[in-house]
Amino acid sequence: MTLADWGIVLARVVLPPLILPAIVIPLVWYERRVAALIQDRHGPNRVGPFGLLQSPADILKLFTKEEVVPASVDKGLFYLAPALAVFAALATFVVIPYGANLHAGGRDIPLIGADVSIGVLYIFAITSISVYAIVLAGWSSNDKYSLMGGIRSSAQIISYELAMTTAAAGIILAAGSFRLSDIVVMQESTILGFIPRWNVFFQPLGFLIFFTATFAETNRLPFDLPEAEAELVAGYHTEYSAMHFGSFFLAEYVNVIVSSALTTTLYFGGWSLPGFHPTGPLGVAASVVIFGLKTAFFVTVFVWVRWTLPRFRYDQLMRLGWKALLPLALVNLLWAAALEMWRARG
Amino acid sequence: MERLLFDAVLAAVVLFAGLMVVLKHPVHSVLSLVVAFFALATGYVMLGAPFVGALQVIVYAGAILVLFLFVLMLLNIARPPADRGGRPVQAFLGSVGAVVFAAMLLGALRSSGAALPAAAAVPPDPASLGEPASLARVLFADYLLHFEAISVLLLAALVGAFVLARREPRT
Repeated sequence: MTLADWGIVLARVVLPPLILPAIVIPLVWYERRVAALIQDRHGPNRVGPFGLLQSPADILKLFTKEEVVPASVDKGLFYLAPALAVFAALATFVVIPYGANLHAGGRDIPLIGADVSIGVLYIFAITSISVYAIVLAGWSSNDKYSLMGGIRSSAQIISYELAMTTAAAGIILAAGSFRLSDIVVMQESTILGFIPRWNVFFQPLGFLIFFTATFAETNRLPFDLPEAEAELVAGYHTEYSAMHFGSFFLAEYVNVIVSSALTTTLYFGGWSLPGFHPTGPLGVAASVVIFGLKTAFFVTVFVWVRWTLPRFRYDQLMRLGWKALLPLALVNLLWAAALEMWRARG
Repeated sequence: MERLLFDAVLAAVVLFAGLMVVLKHPVHSVLSLVVAFFALATGYVMLGAPFVGALQVIVYAGAILVLFLFVLMLLNIARPPADRGGRPVQAFLGSVGAVVFAAMLLGALRSSGAALPAAAAVPPDPASLGEPASLARVLFADYLLHFEAISVLLLAALVGAFVLARREPRT
């Protein structure tokens, strides 16, 4: 490998984790403006044009605030937890393809951090790390509200992970591969000439289950029980202040982006569009824009749902996960298997 | 370079597995075991078996040890009382065990390489051996019966756990 090859590999792996936090800055502003729109008020509109500089100002404040660490915390784990949360959020994106292959200088550069053969499994493995971040934050704080939040969240994430993985198993079955780039390629063509061959049209139930479960996995409303402020103050991050608190915030928003990107990739054809065959740098740029727009759509749904649905009660959350989503996910898996058998017969 | 990295990973496995035993606080013990499992998964990936590595993380680090942690936190187990010594039987059995283990380890080290099982007639392609597709072929074609037998066993264990944990119906 030449130096240029190493440079490309480095850029592929390092760029997404650098860009994602940068997207979070306008995303926070976007969420607050959409929330204001839904609640018929103005939202942040004073700092900079349209209030766009509100988020940078807030982040500056978070960085310069005094850090208050309670005396009774488990120091090492207390500091480890937010770092782990951000790491898990950023590491997921590495296996998601965000554009068509770029042909440049005699090289074929896939726009994906690492096109590993276990793509989907890798994502589930990283999700299991993010559980530790929340659980450790809750426990190391040595505070009843934090602990309750941490325990709730571990139970919630494990429960919904089951429904999520079972729903995704339907996609893996259809694609015959864990590789996310294979899953994008299989969705490139059309059915009946005009409907895109997206997995959502074959497994609509699976999509609904998967997308619902991502709300629980990212701790967003209506499933933000781990930080239910009415009963738990702020849940697992009650004792955190300054940028350590900000890290959890950052991780949550990065998770929203990554979950939307994953939903796009698994069910909505990723960067592909029917009839669109990207060639040259411009075509590749267009594919990245398509991927971005699809992802932005699901991010908007995340924001929309947050300001529309009230929070579930804890027993309702558990009942939904175990008694509704998991059996339905199994039904979806059977459906996907039947579809595959029918397709194999021709 | 790669060999050096691999050795470092294996050293991390041993180190954190050792810490699991030595650390006083049960939560810290569980966490060092988690790190050991992650290092082990890294080892699997470096050996060309990414699928096994991913399962190692999902099943052990992601599910089983989280449940351990969950139980420890719910029970709120604090530091165990300081050991005052006075366990002569355990100390004796422990040292016997250590000697036997050391002898086995020495024997294994001395005979390593000498007694490798005979190579298969058609050596599998090492590059694709640990990939999901080839693993699935072995699991669901060659060893299907064993696979199903184990799943039935796990199901039986699940039912058993349910029966044990179930509340007695009021009469």
